[in-house]
Amino acid sequence: MLYLELLFQGIVQGSIYALIALGLTLVYGLLRILHVAHAALFTLGGYIGVIVTNQTGSLALAILAAMIVVGLVGVAMYKLAYEPLLSKPPFIALIASIALFIAAEELFRIIFGPYGLSYENPPLQGGFEIISGFFLKYGEALVIILSLLILSVLGWISGYTRLGVSWRATVTDPDMARAFGVNTQNVRYLNFFIGSALAAVAGVLVALLNNLVEPTMGSVPSYKALAIIVLGGLGSIRGTLLASMILGVIESFGTIYIGHLLDRDALAFGFLIVVLMFRPQGLLGTR
Amino acid sequence: MTMKIGILGAILGVSLVAASAQAGTIKIGFNVPLTGFAAADGLSAKTGAELAVEQINGAGGVKGDMLELVIYDDQASPKEAVPIAQKLIEKDEVVAGVSGSYSGSTRAAAGIFQEAGVPYISAYAIHPDITRAGNFVFRTSFVGEVQGRAGAKLIGESLGLKRVAIITLKNDFGQALAAGFKEAASSFGIEILSEYEYSIKDRQFGPIVSKVRADKPDVIYASGYFFTAGPLVSQLRAGGIDVPIIGQEGYDSQKFIEIAGAASEGTIITTSLDRDSSVAETQDFIKAFEAKSGQKADMVAASAHTAIKVLAEALQSSGASDRAAIRDAIAQTNLTASTGQISFNKLGEVQKSVQVQIVKDGQWHHHSVIDDAELLSPPSE
Repeated sequence: MLYLELLFQGIVQGSIYALIALGLTLVYGLLRILHVAHAALFTLGGYIGVIVTNQTGSLALAILAAMIVVGLVGVAMYKLAYEPLLSKPPFIALIASIALFIAAEELFRIIFGPYGLSYENPPLQGGFEIISGFFLKYGEALVIILSLLILSVLGWISGYTRLGVSWRATVTDPDMARAFGVNTQNVRYLNFFIGSALAAVAGVLVALLNNLVEPTMGSVPSYKALAIIVLGGLGSIRGTLLASMILGVIESFGTIYIGHLLDRDALAFGFLIVVLMFRPQGLLGTR
Repeated sequence: MTMKIGILGAILGVSLVAASAQAGTIKIGFNVPLTGFAAADGLSAKTGAELAVEQINGAGGVKGDMLELVIYDDQASPKEAVPIAQKLIEKDEVVAGVSGSYSGSTRAAAGIFQEAGVPYISAYAIHPDITRAGNFVFRTSFVGEVQGRAGAKLIGESLGLKRVAIITLKNDFGQALAAGFKEAASSFGIEILSEYEYSIKDRQFGPIVSKVRADKPDVIYASGYFFTAGPLVSQLRAGGIDVPIIGQEGYDSQKFIEIAGAASEGTIITTSLDRDSSVAETQDFIKAFEAKSGQKADMVAASAHTAIKVLAEALQSSGASDRAAIRDAIAQTNLTASTGQISFNKLGEVQKSVQVQIVKDGQWHHHSVIDDAELLSPPSE
């Protein structure tokens, strides 16, 4: 029973990682840019989630508001920071991204204060026993359900709609896509919007589980999401999802059984190193 | 021509008079985390220290001279603390320093101050090596091991609970507390079922909650700061664990109660600030801090306030010109401050009672006091 619980905890953590890392993969796949500032959008999503829930009492509204606002901010980030740098080598955009992230963290501290924010009436407290001895919190159940929902919707859009096909075409071969009349500019905006909105959902969910949003809450995701997309294989969405889940489970068991030797991050990166030694292209990456 | 000489003379005259009427300022160095992960505690500590300076200056300063805090942001990082310590000593020429920061940075800075022969007081950083830097370094709060031992007595004797699961924050602070706790555990009949560690960046404790529930302890001894303890306690309770949770001064902030919400009810901590204290210094500090900052007082602010008060008291008797004399005066301290009766042993460690507070109706309240002089005696070398 304990092992089942630890597995579920790993899946919950993995789902959150997936929501964050997907945005990063989407951007990398399209533009070959490592969008470190993505973690700042995660933090912003968390803040909006708490603020809107405290104002209106509705978590659902908060999630929606966070997705929309952060999606737009993500697009703004692209337009202001990345679009002008597209013709330059990718490490320039990386530097810009890191700078954006650091600035954002400080902005959060200046605007929202260093103490962090909490829900005044935290929604979805408590949990339930699925089967005897196996306990799951409502918040954790929401993470799993919401992640599955979002990923299925995205998968369907990507595979079965005109929009999805245009997007995939642009990722594979932008010039050809343009030749077929796809507006690659719009595809890029959409890409950033969706990726950022996903990070926002992750932010609201993490805020729910912890009842705390802080200016620095994006600092761990900022590098861990990078590790995840490398682990999964740069540019591979399935790889990112797989890597997120595996990492979540490894951290879950690892913090309990080898926690006195290695902390959570050390475990994650240790695992990354081991995988890369045998498969330098990542789990599902193509050489 | 006469006019010009007249005006020049008047200006010179006025500035001479002004200069002689100008009180001297005594510069006190203050390193504190104002940005980064510890910014919340840093802001509290800074406000506590500023309050002390305002109160002292308002009462006439130290022998007519006004205190001035020279504040630098060390981000709770040893890398930042070292150049800051050097700057305070060489450029700002402070008469003494106070650390409003965590153990990592305080330890690094203490060495610099000791070498330069400038007194340094650690307000709330608990790592034992800080005072071992030398005889110029003092500490106004409990050293980590002492508080850990007090926790063992609280759990084993006062509360009579024996089977403990320990959750330790993996840094100087948490590990010092756990070491003290484990050292004293057997003498109070405590059986340690398991120990789990987490890093200061963790906020998600799902796996630990599941495992602790499987361990079925009578009580949990968990170290952390309010921004880790808040989520931890909230998740433990939400995970269906209802045994008592015992923490330490890292929890000591209204923010802990805000974050953990209803889950914080009944949490017990060892600390140095008694909200229900009948001691005038403590109550005055609590009221003044709330009036100044709009936030509820916490241990970090009270400790910084105490450290400045100790320094000012020493300056009162030693004067501000000879740093060795200031050091000697600090060593002779016997002062009632908001965090207790302050006097130092030969290592510069304080010996005072441990306050035990409990969360009741969403506020910190007095629970008990731990007064065992032998148990609480700090190391003397």
